[in-house]
Amino acid sequence: MNRKIGVYICECGPNIAEKIDIDKVIEAVTSLNDIVTVERYKLLCSEAGKNYLTEQIKKHSLTHLVVAACSPRDHQLTFMEVCENAKINPYLFQLANIREQCAWVTDNKEEATKKAIRLTKAAIARVRCHSPLEKKEIESNPDILIIGGGIAGIEASLQLAHSNRKIYLVEKNSFLGGLIKNFEKKYPEMQPCSASILQKIETIKKISNIKIFTDSEVQEILGFFGNFEVKVKNKKEKDIESFNVGAVVFATGSSLFDINKNPQYGYGKFDNVLTSLEFEQMNLSKKIVLKNNKTPKSVAIIYCVGRTDKGYCSEICCMYSIKFVRYLKDNIPDIKIVNFYSDLCIPGKSHQKFYEQTQGENIDFIRAENIDITKKGEQLNISYDDETNRKKNCIVDMVILSPALEPSVDAAKLAEFTGVPLGDGDFFAEEHEKLNPVSTSTQGVFIAGCAQGPKSISDTIIQAEAVTGKILSSLIPGKKIEPEVKVSQISESFCIGCKTCLDICSYGAITFDEMNKISVVNEVICRGCGNCVAACPSGAITLKHFTFNQIYEELKEAVQ
Amino acid sequence: MNEIQSNLDILVIGAGITGIESSLMLSKSDRKVHLIEKTSYTGGMAIKFEEVFANMECSTCMVAPLQQELLQNKNINLLTLAEVEDVEGCFGNFTVKIHKKARYVDMKNCIGCNACFEPCPVHLKNEFEECLSERKAIYTPFAGALPNAPMIDTKHCLRFNGKDCRACQEACMFEAIDFNQKDEHIQLTIGAIIVATGYTPFDCREIPQYGYGKINNVFTAFEFERLYASNGPTDGKILLKNGKIPKSAAIIHCVGRDNKGYCSSVCCMYSLKFNHYLTSKIPGIKISEFYTDLCIPGKSHQKFYEKIKKMGTMLIRASDIEITEQGEEIAIKYIDVGGKKNSITVDMVILTSAIVPKDDAEKLAKILGITIDEYGFFKEQNQNASSVVTSKPGVFIVGCSQGPKNIQESISQAGAAVGKILSTH
Ligand SMILES: Cc1cc2nc3c(=O)[nH]c(=O)nc-3n(C[C@H](O)[C@H](O)[C@H](O)COP(=O)(O)OP(=O)(O)OC[C@H]3O[C@@H](n4cnc5c(N)ncnc54)[C@H](O)[C@@H]3O)c2cc1C
Ligand SMILES: Cc1cc2nc3c(=O)[nH]c(=O)nc-3n(C[C@H](O)[C@H](O)[C@H](O)COP(=O)(O)OP(=O)(O)OC[C@H]3O[C@@H](n4cnc5c(N)ncnc54)[C@H](O)[C@@H]3O)c2cc1C
Ligand code: SF4
Ligand code: SF4
Ligand code: SF4
Ligand code: SF4
Ligand code: SF4
Repeated sequence: MNRKIGVYICECGPNIAEKIDIDKVIEAVTSLNDIVTVERYKLLCSEAGKNYLTEQIKKHSLTHLVVAACSPRDHQLTFMEVCENAKINPYLFQLANIREQCAWVTDNKEEATKKAIRLTKAAIARVRCHSPLEKKEIESNPDILIIGGGIAGIEASLQLAHSNRKIYLVEKNSFLGGLIKNFEKKYPEMQPCSASILQKIETIKKISNIKIFTDSEVQEILGFFGNFEVKVKNKKEKDIESFNVGAVVFATGSSLFDINKNPQYGYGKFDNVLTSLEFEQMNLSKKIVLKNNKTPKSVAIIYCVGRTDKGYCSEICCMYSIKFVRYLKDNIPDIKIVNFYSDLCIPGKSHQKFYEQTQGENIDFIRAENIDITKKGEQLNISYDDETNRKKNCIVDMVILSPALEPSVDAAKLAEFTGVPLGDGDFFAEEHEKLNPVSTSTQGVFIAGCAQGPKSISDTIIQAEAVTGKILSSLIPGKKIEPEVKVSQISESFCIGCKTCLDICSYGAITFDEMNKISVVNEVICRGCGNCVAACPSGAITLKHFTFNQIYEELKEAVQ
Repeated sequence: MNEIQSNLDILVIGAGITGIESSLMLSKSDRKVHLIEKTSYTGGMAIKFEEVFANMECSTCMVAPLQQELLQNKNINLLTLAEVEDVEGCFGNFTVKIHKKARYVDMKNCIGCNACFEPCPVHLKNEFEECLSERKAIYTPFAGALPNAPMIDTKHCLRFNGKDCRACQEACMFEAIDFNQKDEHIQLTIGAIIVATGYTPFDCREIPQYGYGKINNVFTAFEFERLYASNGPTDGKILLKNGKIPKSAAIIHCVGRDNKGYCSSVCCMYSLKFNHYLTSKIPGIKISEFYTDLCIPGKSHQKFYEKIKKMGTMLIRASDIEITEQGEEIAIKYIDVGGKKNSITVDMVILTSAIVPKDDAEKLAKILGITIDEYGFFKEQNQNASSVVTSKPGVFIVGCSQGPKNIQESISQAGAAVGKILSTH
C-alpha cells in the first residue's frame, strides 16, 4: 500500500512549545519513510486546529495521520473524529503524548525533546502497521426472558411490558410470587404484603404481551446480546417451547440456609422450633399456636442463624425478626419475647425508628453467643453466653430461627450452562461491584433481586427497575447493536486446540470447533480485553489494533 | 399525557456518581440530558476517596472514565456552577429556570494548564481538601478535576473587590480568562427530573465530648480520606498535625447516629476501609475501633471485616465515649460491655461522621414540589412502591439525596429512575 503519512505537532500554546524544541522533532522525523508532511500548529484541538487538519488531510491526500500532542484521554476521540470527517479510517491514526509524558514531567528541554522524538517516531512506526477497522452493526430482538417469578421478576415484567415488548416469564413453581407471598406484612411500613403481591399477579396475568410459564424451567440459552435462542421445558407436560429474545434477566431469588447444618438449634428434633419462613406462614394463616394448639406465652427469636457458615450478613433478618415481634405483640399482646442477636444491622433512614418503636414491656434484646437449644419438659431451654461471657439460660415455649439467605438451588445450574459466573456467597456476580450491579459479564444477561445478593423488598424492586433501565437504554427496537471493533482473531493454522483460551475468556467469547479441533472467537461477544492473546501458548491469537507487529514496531522505536 | 405533546428531554440535578450514571444511561437511549451541577466539578463525594470498599478499587480510576464519557457525550449538556431556581409544569412538560454562575474562565479556550494559579496573590483555604491545604482565588479544587478548567472565586478575587489585579489573565496564553462573563439565567423545557443532589457529612462539632475542632489530631472521616488521597494535601501521607507519623489510631463509629435517629449504613464499612488505609501506609500501627453494632450487610462485606480482624485491630464495643487531650496524645474514656469504665490513649482519632441531608434540600424540595421526610432527605411517595418515586409525577429521587447508602445502591437507584422514565415516558 502506498502510504502517505502526515505528522502534526501541537504547540499547545506554550505548554509544549516552551518545553520541547519542536523544530528538532520535525527535523528528526521529516525524512522517515512514507512521511509526506510534518507541520507544527498552535492548538490542534481548537475548532481552527481541527479545520486545519481536515484541510491538510485533503490537500496532501493523506492516508494516515499522526498527531503529537496531549494525552489520548483528552483528545484521542477529537482527532479520530477529524479523520472520519476527512474520510480516512479513524483507526489509521495514532496520537503521541508529548505533553503529559514529556513537556509536563521535566524542565530539561533537551531530555524532553529527545523523548518527544522517540514517542513521535514510535507513533509513526505503529501507524504504518495499522489496518482500517470497520464498525459492525447487528439486528437485535427487543423481547425479554425473565427467569423467576418472585417480586423481582414480576416488577421487571410489569415495567418492561409498559414499553410494548414481549416478555417471557418463567417460574419453576406452580405459582408466582416467590418468598413474599408468605408475608402478611412488609417491614418497615407494615403494609400488606401477600395481598399486594396477589394483586400484582392478577394484573400481570391480564397483560397480553407477558407470557407466563409456570412449572417450567429454562433448558438452554444460546447466542449473544440481542440474539438469544431459548428453550423452556414444562416440567409437568414435558413439552419444550423455543423462542428468541434479546436480553435475559435472572431473578431466581434465594432460599433459606439449611438449618440442619446447625444441629445445636434443635430444629427438626424438637417441637415448636420454627424457621422464619414457617413462622411467616403460621402468622399469615392467623394461627400462632404451639404443636399442642395452645397459644405460646413466650417466644425466643434467634438472629444470625448460619451467618458464620455463610460468611456474610444477610441484611434483612434483623429487620424481619423485629417485624416478628410486631406480629407477635399484635396477636398475643401479653406474650414475652426474647431476641437473641449478635449485631443489630438496621441500616438506612427508616429502620432504626422501626426498631425503637418495637421496644416495650416484655420485649428483650440480648446480645448472645454460643446458643444451644434443648428440650425442657414441654418447653425449650436456650443456653447462651452473654456479652460478658457469662453462661445463661432462658426458657420459652417457642423458638423462631432467622436463617441466612442463600442463592436459589438453581443458580449454580443456570451459571453452569450460561457461563455467567457466581461471586461472593455463590450469588450471581455483577459485572462491576459498584458501577454495574445488575449486569453480568455476559452482555445482555442481567440480575435482579436476591439472585444478586440478600436484600429487602424495596431494594429488590429498585434492582428490577434498574434492569429495566439497562435494557430499555441498550436494547432498542429498530436500533442496531454495535459490538466492539477491536476484537481478537484466532489463526486456524496456528491454533493447536489446547483450549487454554476457553478458560481465560471471562466473557464466554471463545467456543471450540470440534470438527476442526480449533478455538473460534465470536466477534460479537469479544470485548477486546486481550487476555486470550497473552494466554495462547502457540501465539495463534491476535487482537485487532494491538497486533504483535504494531506493538513491536512501536516499542522498537520507543526504547531505542 | 397521551394527548399533549410531551417533551422527551430530561433534567438531572447533581453530577455526583449517581447523577452521572443516570445521565449516561439516558443518553444511550438518545435522550437529551441537561445535567446541572452546583460546584465547578463533577464526581461528587466519590472522587474524594482514594479507594472504595468493598473491593478497595481506586476510586478515581472508577469514576474518571465516566466523567470523560460525560464530557464527550453529545447528548448531555453539562452546566456547572448551576442551580435550579424555579420549576413549573407537570410530567412530560416542565419549564425549568436555571441560574448558571459565571466561571470567568471560558471553557472552550481553557486547556487546563494551571498557569494562572501561581501569579494570583490571594491565598485561601481549600475547602475541597477540608481546609488542609491552600488554593488561590482562581483555582481548580484538586488536580484532576473534571471539567479541567479553573474558576474565579469572586468573593476573594482582588479584581472583584475593587482592586486592579489581572495577574491571572496575563499569565494565560489562551485568552481563556474573561472578567466580563455574566451569570446566565437559562430556561429549559424538559419532560422529567432526576434529583441526585447527594449528602453532606454530619458536623462533628455537634458532639462536643468528641473534641473535634478543639483537639489537634481528631479528624473527620473526610479529612482522613483526603490525608490518604495521593492527590490530597499531604500527597497521601497519613500525618499528625505536627508532621509526625501516628503510632496508634482510634476510629469512633456512629458519630451523629443518636442525634439523627438512623444508622447511616456505610460508616462501619468505610471505617474498615480506614483500617486498610492505616495498615497499608503505616505497617504495625495499633488500631482500635469503638463501635456499637457492626452493620456490614450484604454478600461481600463480612469477608473484608474478617481480613481486618486478622490483622489485629481491636474491636471495642463501647458507650459514653469521651475524648480529651493528654499532652501530645489523646485519651479516650468509655464504658465497656460489662458496664466498667475504661480508657486508652492514642495519637490520632478518626470520627466516622453520619450521612446527613444537604442543607439546601428543603429549599430544593419546595422548588420541585416534592416533600422531605422527618430526617430531611427527599421523601419517596410510598415506601411500598419504588423508593425513587416521589409524590410529584415526573420527579425522581436517587442516591444519597433519598437516604444514606453506598455507591452500589446509589447506582441501582440511578438505573431504576431511568427505567421508570424510559418505560413510562
Ligand atoms: C422470613 C422472611 C421475611 C422477610 N420479610 C421482609 C419484609 O418484611 N420486608 C422486606 O423488605 N423484605 C423481607 N424479606 C426479604 C424478601 O423476601 C426478599 O427481598 C424478596 O423475596 C426478594 O425477591 P426475589 O424476587 O428476588 O426472590 P424470591 O422471592 O426468592 O423469588 C424468586 C422466584 O424465582 C423462582 N425460581 C428460582 N429459581 C428458578 C429457576 N431456575 N427457574 C425458574 N424460576 C426460578 C422461585 O421459585 C421464586 O418464585 C423477608 C425474607 C424472609 C426470608
Ligand atoms: C467518609 C465516607 C466514605 C465513603 N466510602 C465509600 C466507599 O468506600 N464505598 C461506597 O460504596 N460508598 C462510600 N461512601 C458512600 C458514598 O459516598 C455515597 O454512596 C455516594 O457518594 C453517593 O453518591 P451521590 O451521587 O448520591 O451523592 P454525592 O456524591 O453527594 O453527589 C451529589 C452531587 O450533587 C451536587 N449538588 C448538591 N446539591 C445540588 C444542587 N442543589 N444543585 C445542583 N447540584 C447539587 C453536589 O455538588 C454533588 O456533586 C462513603 C461515604 C462517606 C461519608
Ligand atoms: S441482618 Fe441481622 S440477623 Fe441477619 S445476618 Fe445480619 S446481623 Fe445477623
Ligand atoms: S480478547 Fe478478551 S473478550 Fe475477546 S476473546 Fe479474548 S479473552 Fe475473550
Ligand atoms: S485559564 Fe488559561 S492559564 Fe488558566 S488553566 Fe485555563 S488555559 Fe491555563
Ligand atoms: S484577578 Fe483575581 S483571580 Fe486573577 S490573579 Fe488577580 S486576584 Fe487572582
Ligand atoms: S453503619 Fe455502623 S457506624 Fe454507621 S451508623 Fe450504622 S452502625 Fe453506626
